[in-house]
Amino acid sequence: MDSFWGNIFKSREKREEEITAVLKKIPIFEELNPREVSSIERILHRRTYRPGEVIFHQGDAGVGMYIIERGTVEIILEPVNQVVAEIKDGEFFGELALLDESPRSATARAKTECRMLGFFQSDLFGLIERDPRLGVKIVLRLASIIGDRLKHSNQQMQQLMHRIHELETQIQQLKETTAKGGRKKSRQASADAPS
Amino acid sequence: MDKQFARWIKLLFVLLAAAALIIFLVSIGELVRLVIIAALLAYILEPLASFLESRGFSRVAATAIIFLGILSTVALFIFLLLPTISHEIRSIQAGIQSGKATQLIQNLEHFIQTRLAFLGMQNLNLIEKAHQMMVNLGNQIFDYLLNIVSLITNLVIIPFIIFFLIKDGREIKRNFIRLVPNKYFEFSLNLLHKMDMQLGNYLRGQFLDALIVGILSILALWLLEVKYFVLIGAFAGLANLIPYVGPVAGALPAILVVILESGDMIRIVYIAIAFAVVQLIDNVLVQPLVVAKTVNMHPLVVMFVVIIGGKFFGVLGMLLSVPTAGVIKVVIQESIANFRKYRFE
Repeated sequence: MDSFWGNIFKSREKREEEITAVLKKIPIFEELNPREVSSIERILHRRTYRPGEVIFHQGDAGVGMYIIERGTVEIILEPVNQVVAEIKDGEFFGELALLDESPRSATARAKTECRMLGFFQSDLFGLIERDPRLGVKIVLRLASIIGDRLKHSNQQMQQLMHRIHELETQIQQLKETTAKGGRKKSRQASADAPS
Repeated sequence: MDKQFARWIKLLFVLLAAAALIIFLVSIGELVRLVIIAALLAYILEPLASFLESRGFSRVAATAIIFLGILSTVALFIFLLLPTISHEIRSIQAGIQSGKATQLIQNLEHFIQTRLAFLGMQNLNLIEKAHQMMVNLGNQIFDYLLNIVSLITNLVIIPFIIFFLIKDGREIKRNFIRLVPNKYFEFSLNLLHKMDMQLGNYLRGQFLDALIVGILSILALWLLEVKYFVLIGAFAGLANLIPYVGPVAGALPAILVVILESGDMIRIVYIAIAFAVVQLIDNVLVQPLVVAKTVNMHPLVVMFVVIIGGKFFGVLGMLLSVPTAGVIKVVIQESIANFRKYRFE
């Protein structure tokens, strides 16, 4: 009998250890102490998806982020059905929905059997109310991640702007060259013409 | 065709399940009533538990502190107000027994015949009717005393349910969400969150509003030296839960007491003015601050739900009918609004 209960508790403890290990790898939670991680664990939703099952559709109201405990998820752009990313064990997606309810920008579909942890806006708001210190830590981390992404996007945009500027200059030069060539040709043509 | 047939079968199955659930809930009506009262109270107390948690207490400790607080408040209330209330009840009983009631009823009959004769109110024979009413009331009290076991059971069960709803409410919600299929998971989560916010605001607003109106009415009646001011003021606060009808129903007992006592028209006018001022304060200051506007209901709807509540659960049903209808309105409103934001394929 003891071993029966022992096995049940052991498997539950093992699962919780696995979840803790997964959470520690997620940038949003990496700076939390063990007590705080276990507070987060208590508000996560554990879900399992079959291969091909849709997690959310593009355009649905966003409610929060998913952390993949095990499996692979495809991020698909509709209506072209183009797979733009594949997300695997220990990675996460949909974190922007923790901050606002704007529509999902792409569809997420399980490619393989997936075990996921859902961390949702309502639970984050509840956490901020009950444990403001932990709530602020998470929101700051989230802000920092989004800030990093913004910086990265800005850099990419600057590179693109620079490239566009280069292309515009090249086009201008080409135009000028073509125009000069055209004028030369027309002068030559008028000189060659019989008087 | 097969697909459509399967859809119809599914719909039939859902309808049958809903009917079975309703029959089951009606058959355990008493328990449902207790759960509704406990859930409403738990909703009102929930933010207190979250506040205590934010101060570093565990959920269990926070729940225990709230219960200790409620017990202390009830004890203090009994200690301070019970002598007044018991005095008020005793004086009502003494009035009935001493034959003074006959005199008071004659006063009322005289008042109606002299001032409201134009409405055709003559030969009312109120004494006989009152006598009949007292016999009925006596029977009801006897039944009630026989039912004292169920009263005590209620007094134990309601706090018991409240305690566990506050302590484990989040866990219960999470376990419920766990049962929802993946297709409807995000929709259900969002819906529950929205409903939770709306209902919490609405119920806490209603509770605070009733409390403030009750206290103001007690104060006003005490200043006007109306007998039984605590009982009537508390009733006025509770009656305020019912829009439109509540404020009038709250003032009527006070006016009736004055008519029975002296028939003094000036005091009746003062009481009417006092209740009008309380309503003004409620409408201008209290309601805009504490009551959620999203649950506004049409007067006709209010009337119907109050009648239905009264029909099935008596006075308590009338008082709880509007908050319960508010809960149903929020559920339907949010379900429709949320349904449009999701694709179910």
